[in-house]
Amino acid sequence: MGLRTGVAAAIRRGIVFEKFSNAVIKATPAFPGRSIWYNKDSWGGYRVISRKAIEHLKGAIFLKDLEAQSDHEAISKMLDLLRSHPEVCNFEMFAADVFDRQQTDPPLFPGGVAFPHARTDGVMTLVMAVATCRKPIQFGDISVRLIFLVGVPKRAGGDYLELISFLARQIRRDRAMERLTGAEDMPGFIARFVDPA
Amino acid sequence: METNGEIEQKTTLSPLLRRLLRLQFWLVEHLRPSERQSTLIWAALIGALGALTSEAFRKTSDFVLHLATGSSSGIISGFANLTWWQRLIVPTVGGLLAGSTLWFGSRLVAGGKQKTTTDYMEAIVVGSGIISARASIVKSLSALLSISTGTSIGREGPLVQISSLVASLIGRVRNIPIPQRRHLVACGAAAGIASAYKAPIAASFFVAEIILGTVVVESLGPLIIASVVAAFVTQMLGNSEPLYKSSGFNLHTRWEIIPLSCVGILLGFSAPLYLGFLRSAERLFSKIVLPVPLKLALGGAIVGGLAILNPDVCGNGHGLLRSIFHQYWFWDEVLAIIVLKLLATATAFGSGVVGGVFTPTLVVGAGLGVLYGEGILYLAPQFQSDPAMYGVVGMGAFLAATTGAPLMAILMAFELTLDYSIAPFLMVNCVVAYYCSGIFEKRFMYGESLERKGAAFFNQQLAAVNIRDLVRRDPITLPKNATFAQIAETFVQHRFQHVYIVDKDQKLLGAISLHDVKTFLDRPELESVVIAADIMDEDFPRVSPMHGMNDALHKFSEAHSERLPVVDDMVSKRLIGSISKTDIILHLAGDQSAAATSRQFR
Repeated sequence: MGLRTGVAAAIRRGIVFEKFSNAVIKATPAFPGRSIWYNKDSWGGYRVISRKAIEHLKGAIFLKDLEAQSDHEAISKMLDLLRSHPEVCNFEMFAADVFDRQQTDPPLFPGGVAFPHARTDGVMTLVMAVATCRKPIQFGDISVRLIFLVGVPKRAGGDYLELISFLARQIRRDRAMERLTGAEDMPGFIARFVDPA
Repeated sequence: METNGEIEQKTTLSPLLRRLLRLQFWLVEHLRPSERQSTLIWAALIGALGALTSEAFRKTSDFVLHLATGSSSGIISGFANLTWWQRLIVPTVGGLLAGSTLWFGSRLVAGGKQKTTTDYMEAIVVGSGIISARASIVKSLSALLSISTGTSIGREGPLVQISSLVASLIGRVRNIPIPQRRHLVACGAAAGIASAYKAPIAASFFVAEIILGTVVVESLGPLIIASVVAAFVTQMLGNSEPLYKSSGFNLHTRWEIIPLSCVGILLGFSAPLYLGFLRSAERLFSKIVLPVPLKLALGGAIVGGLAILNPDVCGNGHGLLRSIFHQYWFWDEVLAIIVLKLLATATAFGSGVVGGVFTPTLVVGAGLGVLYGEGILYLAPQFQSDPAMYGVVGMGAFLAATTGAPLMAILMAFELTLDYSIAPFLMVNCVVAYYCSGIFEKRFMYGESLERKGAAFFNQQLAAVNIRDLVRRDPITLPKNATFAQIAETFVQHRFQHVYIVDKDQKLLGAISLHDVKTFLDRPELESVVIAADIMDEDFPRVSPMHGMNDALHKFSEAHSERLPVVDDMVSKRLIGSISKTDIILHLAGDQSAAATSRQFR
């Protein structure tokens, strides 16, 4: 169903559309319910932005201009940001699981993005830290400028896949890296994420 | 030349010989009965024998009744002629004798070598079609003593038991295969019911609808033959009239259709209460710790006490039903007899008397129907309603609501009265009552018993199955660092719902479910960042050959999966294969070759 038809049906149901920017629309139902965000895709249509992923991003800790000599140091610094996170119940386990996962097969995205993560009993819900790097950090052969550190409870495999899929898809867009690494804080980062213009 | 002459002679005779041979083959081919046709012949024989044994039981029962009460004109009039203390003593002594028969008989039967059942329903549905002859005779003798001394329990129970036993014996003697033997026992049961109620159509549908759970022609055909032959033989023996022949009902006004169509609602909602009452009585008596003879004597004494108040409570209720349909009863009399009959039946049923509650159920349904009809007559006298008409409709509706078999109930009520004018109302009310009852009652009268027996049989079969015999040795596995692309490819190539993740020593680490990843399979962006270890379920249920099949089924329900991984033991967790639900079911169904084939090709 195209957006036009969808909008017509939605208006009949009392859904209020609000233009967030040239590329993003926010739809709020008339009855109590969560807003849904759409953004423009490369074909000129609109697609639903993963609400869950956005919520995870909203709860993430942002670190601008991370500096580190190695991937290990970079991950350690980001882990420190989550040490006192209320959803981290066993920091040592969480950290050990992240490094263990890095050793198995470092999750890297071509273009300079690292996804150090772990499914672990050390966290109660999905926790995340985001870091941008002014100076690229070497993760093996890849120079990384953007890092997403994610801790996922063992039972939340679906959430994890949805989040990673969403992040990876957004990062593949043109000039995404330049725009995202230019963010000053988390709200700015999210705005650049949902609004590719 | 001589040789040539012989040859010539042979060739001259051969066309005739060939024709004769051809005729012989044709006759053999067309006239020799197939398995299906031979089932019909056996069904007819079983029907005849069922009717004869039922008649013998009836005559013996009448004789014992005569000994106990000195009456030959029915159980109610026999008890009506007794003094109050005799009404108390006769059922008590009858209960004591019936209980003693069961008690001593059970010791006698315990010595038998072959493991068989005494329950015809069990023999048909889950058993091998073999009914224990000794145990059946003991049970029938006990039932004979109870019924003939006034206990409020159905005589149809032992009648069906005996005719089923006859069918089972024929099956055993002729060494008939198990499925056909089960079918013959079903024919025996149908013959018993047909001869008890002179209702061949309803008898066929009773067995088909309640016991077999299907009314397809393949199974119904032999049941019909057995029932019709049984009913015919019963008629030949002098019982040609329908049990409660109606003198004809008329609607005085078309408006009466409205109250007449509502009988089913009342009876439908009453049925769960009735079934609950019977179950409560059973539970109550199970708490009384007494030897079987004393327990049945106690039951008999309570029935005797009720008989002092009103002898109509005695017996299965045939006489009472006739009286309700053919005489006028005041509403308070009907109410009183319903309460007393309920108490007497629940007491007999709860104390463990051998017999059925089919006829007592008809009595309660008819009584409630008559009560409702009298209410209508009081509220709308211009309708000039005949309460007996409501009684017949109520009887059918209550039967449908308690047995969960509306089709059988319609036919039974129709055949018992042979009144076509009431058939449309019967049909409507039986269906309505069945649906109303189904709102509150999920376990109908015979379903509960079958359910219990089926569960016991299933557990017994289950215990005999060994997991090791059903393991498939080559499960689909991936290492824990398999990329998302590899995982997706594996799911595309194989049609399994789960992929098992193992380490280099084949130790099971977890499983990935297709359900969890199917929406992401077309996302190329995940291929380089997600590996099997990220998404596997480490707690995925698994079994080992040490587990019993009950545990395995429990784990199947936990995993919501058609297949479970099998590890050699729960410590080393080395994956040795997988086990599928289908193989277990095929194995339990006795089709072990199919299970093996299934393992081989899947």
